[in-house]
Amino acid sequence: MYAIEVENLVKKYGDFEAVKGISFKVKRGEIFAFLGPNGAGKTTTVHVLTTLLKLTSGKAIVAGHDVVKEPMEVRKRIGIVFQDPSLDRELTAYENMYIHGRIYGLGGNELKNKIEELLKFVELWEFRNKPVKYFSGGMQRRLEIARALLHEPEVLFLDEPTIGLDPQTRAHIWEYIKSMKEEHNMTIFLTTHYMDEAEQLADRIAIMDHGKIIAEGTAEELKKLVGNDVIYLKLEAPEDLKCLKAEFIRGCKLLSDGRVRLEVVNAAEALPKIFDLAKERNVKIVEVTYHRPTLNDVFLYLTGREIRDEEETNTLASMIRMRMRR
Amino acid sequence: MRALTTMAYRQIKRFTRARSRVVGMIVNPLIWLVFFGLGWSKVFDNPMARAIFGGVDYLTFLAPGIFAMTIFNQSFIGGVSVIWDKQFGFLKEVLVAPASRKEGILGRILGDSLVTLTQGTIILLLTFLLAENLKISGILPALGVGFLLAVAFSGFGVSLALKMESMEGFQMVMMVLMLPLIFLSGAMYPIDTMPSWMRALAYINPLTYAVDGARHFLVGENVTKFALTTDVGVLALLALFLVGVAMIEFEKATIG
Ligand SMILES: Nc1ncnc2c1ncn2[C@@H]1O[C@H](COP(=O)(O)OP(=O)(O)OP(=O)(O)O)[C@@H](O)[C@H]1O
Ligand SMILES: [Mg+2]
Repeated sequence: MYAIEVENLVKKYGDFEAVKGISFKVKRGEIFAFLGPNGAGKTTTVHVLTTLLKLTSGKAIVAGHDVVKEPMEVRKRIGIVFQDPSLDRELTAYENMYIHGRIYGLGGNELKNKIEELLKFVELWEFRNKPVKYFSGGMQRRLEIARALLHEPEVLFLDEPTIGLDPQTRAHIWEYIKSMKEEHNMTIFLTTHYMDEAEQLADRIAIMDHGKIIAEGTAEELKKLVGNDVIYLKLEAPEDLKCLKAEFIRGCKLLSDGRVRLEVVNAAEALPKIFDLAKERNVKIVEVTYHRPTLNDVFLYLTGREIRDEEETNTLASMIRMRMRR
Repeated sequence: MRALTTMAYRQIKRFTRARSRVVGMIVNPLIWLVFFGLGWSKVFDNPMARAIFGGVDYLTFLAPGIFAMTIFNQSFIGGVSVIWDKQFGFLKEVLVAPASRKEGILGRILGDSLVTLTQGTIILLLTFLLAENLKISGILPALGVGFLLAVAFSGFGVSLALKMESMEGFQMVMMVLMLPLIFLSGAMYPIDTMPSWMRALAYINPLTYAVDGARHFLVGENVTKFALTTDVGVLALLALFLVGVAMIEFEKATIG
């Protein structure tokens, strides 16, 4: 059945509507990701679902219990890794785990064994007696994940689990998340603004923007919304900026950063034609990039904006880049 | 009980981890005791002054006051340290847990109070080295009075911290409140020698009853102002009230 059911969830801070009536369902054993830019309302949603914030209207059922009517029942069944740090920095890794276990009603040898197992799982066992304030960001994140797993939650919430971490550490944490799902068949609700993270981990993705879910589906389904290869053109004179028209161009959009975005069935074949076309019309192309559609293209297609500016620099490396000067 | 003992355990663990800070906390009352107390003790070492201070040397008169001041200071700061939990995020971890919040915060207050008492004990033992007429047998019951005071002010600190966004506002509160409360507690001179408007303020100052209560045990009846039952009664009621408020406030707490 469903681990999370949300219907028309609205959350206002004063007059400001941070979440504007979203609905979605997460199946048991599924990894579900909220993908969206800063301020989309991801954290707000997580805090409502984990009973930390009161919803303004709508309904939310988590692990079979209503977050408003039975917050205690929900709390027993969930684990959470917050976006911001939430460890006791003065205490050691072991003490943080121990205190969490005790508060969640564990004790004795059961707790000891569980702590050892989980600290080994996230490779922090040898650092167990070190105060957390001496841990790196990645170590703290791993400890928070281990702590969230201690009481064996039915539903695990991960709010931007790899934010601010270097690529190796991120890949590492992805491994933990995947093996958690495989070994414990846990339901995982994940928020991220990294497309690759959503794509790597999630069974299904909801794209969120300005408090609304603007698309939902598997990564493949979402990419089919765009469908075609994508070409970005940068022109020498931005005043020439207008859509090129030709039968082989399936879609065209002018971007706010002054580039043209074209959709074609096959970029390799379309590019020479585009150069000819540009020459014909006396338009100078300064830069061309093209690639298979990504989730970022889906977001661009739906909103006209990038998910995150710095995201682009990451994906650029994997793009084929051509510079043309005439 | 789980939440209570665990949170108390946490506070005590944090204290043992931060031993260097403990030394710093004890320095302040020691400065009062040595530079203020020892400094004045020669001035007041005459029959007329002794009569004002209930027939004992000045350091003996002052010692229960310094003890109460230490407890008051440290327990208040301990309670307000909830604000660090807010800032470092640990508060969220507590609020999302399926445990009784009332119990959790009570555990925290009790843990902090035990920590504070340890500091108070150290100060008390040090004053025995200086003052002539303190009763050793009074230490344990005086710690009881100190405990009530600690619980009251750590509860007050918790409620205050839940309303505050940052530590800055708190520094102001401390600056404005601390010294008047101490001067108006009868710790340094008897309440009866104060002008009547000051005396009125001393009567509504909770610290007055803690100082007086501690004097009952550490010095003796002839130096005290109120009946022991009054001192303990006022402190106990205040502690109950302030802890009750803290528990209710914490139950309602959400993240900003
Ligand atoms: N306590 C608050 N009071 C007022 N507004 C808030 C509060 N918390 C968040 N907001 C606003 O609500 C919106 C959604 O914020 P939220 O933190 O849920 O976004 P997010 O998707 O998690 O973004 P990020 O990627 O930055 O974490 C933002 O515009 C934010 O400014
Ligand atoms: Mg967020």
